[in-house]
Amino acid sequence: MSKYPPGKYTPAVEVGLDRMREMAKGNFDLKWMQSNPAGWGHKVTPGPAGLRLRDVDTGYYGNVPEHGSTHGSMAPRGCEVPPETKALPMYTMNEMSEVWAENAGLLYDEAVVRQWNSVTDVPWDKLEKLPDDIERAVCQMCTGLTEVEFVAGDMPAKWLHKINHDFHEVKLFLASQIFDEARHLDVFRKRALANGGGLLMASPGQEELLAAILEAPDYTTASALMHIFGEGFVLTLFRQGEFLAPTEVEKAIFRLCMQDEARHVAYGVKHLKYFLERHPNRAEEVHKILDIGEQAIFTLTLEPQTSEPRAILAGGGLANIDVGAQRMAFIYAKQVKEYLRRLEIAGLNREPRLTIPKEIPYEDLAA
Amino acid sequence: MTETTLFPSKQWFQALARLMDKDESAYRDLGPLECTMVVKVDTDAATHLYEVVFEGFKVQSVRELKSLADAKPEHFVIEATLSIWREMIENIRANAGPDLTHTLNYLTFPDDPMRVSGPDQLEVDAFYRYNQSLQRFFNAAAEVPTAFAS
Ligand SMILES: [Fe+2]
Ligand SMILES: [Fe+2]
Repeated sequence: MSKYPPGKYTPAVEVGLDRMREMAKGNFDLKWMQSNPAGWGHKVTPGPAGLRLRDVDTGYYGNVPEHGSTHGSMAPRGCEVPPETKALPMYTMNEMSEVWAENAGLLYDEAVVRQWNSVTDVPWDKLEKLPDDIERAVCQMCTGLTEVEFVAGDMPAKWLHKINHDFHEVKLFLASQIFDEARHLDVFRKRALANGGGLLMASPGQEELLAAILEAPDYTTASALMHIFGEGFVLTLFRQGEFLAPTEVEKAIFRLCMQDEARHVAYGVKHLKYFLERHPNRAEEVHKILDIGEQAIFTLTLEPQTSEPRAILAGGGLANIDVGAQRMAFIYAKQVKEYLRRLEIAGLNREPRLTIPKEIPYEDLAA
Repeated sequence: MTETTLFPSKQWFQALARLMDKDESAYRDLGPLECTMVVKVDTDAATHLYEVVFEGFKVQSVRELKSLADAKPEHFVIEATLSIWREMIENIRANAGPDLTHTLNYLTFPDDPMRVSGPDQLEVDAFYRYNQSLQRFFNAAAEVPTAFAS
């Protein structure tokens, strides 16, 4: 008796069995071998830094459609899609302008080569016992940064699976960002736990901004708020972290994170530029979300758990916290200046709309 | 007697570029660079400008510039007085790498004593984006006996 009596299996399994019967008889299909003639014979030359996306995504494969293909499947851009391929309804971000940035592919390549890990790339053996106030300041700074890093991974993850597969450069870049952010939250948390201290206090002020990023109505406004505004401010905090680092350990951590963060900001700036060039009438939506962000960051910047540990580190200890606060007062103006300059590249004149002061003259406030 | 190379000079940056070639596997671990750095050195008498173009894991070119207008349009500038450059280089040479207060980021972050600028913010951001590699590039000064213009 046949092991496969008719009707024992579902129609899908029956089709598969039929196909295997044909193969067992030596009847192969092989139509795929002649498929996609336009995409066959592609020539590729690796560049000085290896084989990058831009080296392979040329000619036929470099054509990124303005409207992502409507077949809505997971088929990669440039392959032949058989007509019977099922359209899937989950890819809802199908316009190139919704997600594109001209540097996305380059940043992805850079991200994968510039990977590092918190297990072996940080010289943990150079940790040394620090005075209690300094250790607490470092641990509080790391607690706050761990909190921030969660959202930076969650935001791209929220949108990634909706993006049409024709925009693989963007999907790859966002995937690399999710992993960058995983490393960041991991390394800051690790530092807080590694030297006899621990995690200290979460930041309610921070939560407001982080929620606004996740609740943004569409990807571009979420990206403007996170990639340009939030990560731009965080990039400066990382630079400050390196500046204030009491040992080689924090120095290495902040330098590594700083590089990653600058990629995220670079994507955000170029995406907003691409978007606004095609939808200048939507600048107002971006302004509106930045209004929210600016208010939230102002509260956050001045929250004690954010500002005081940095002042302790800058002053060299709790006894000199006032000196440290004064010494670090310049950082806010620097953050705002760089933020405005990044938006300028994206084509958004934010200065007349800015809802927060451009600088906070510390001495005037103290007077 | 050890032969010294003058800072600032085109030869000094070329010496670092040669060391970068020798150290290629370490730069590969750090990741590729794609940026142009202009080093500005101010003395009482003059301003010296050197353009270093990085591509992949190498220095593609080193040029002395007459003015900033001659630089590749996409670049960032690191500027300081000669005495600050000297202090940084001597610190790197004394410790086989900078101590905590002589890293590029440490010296530039408050815009004093060094400053990073550029035609637009993304160019300045390249200094942050490639910071590990740029730091390594300057760390090679540990192997270049250096004389300083007075
Ligand atoms: Fe991050
Ligand atoms: Fe980030």
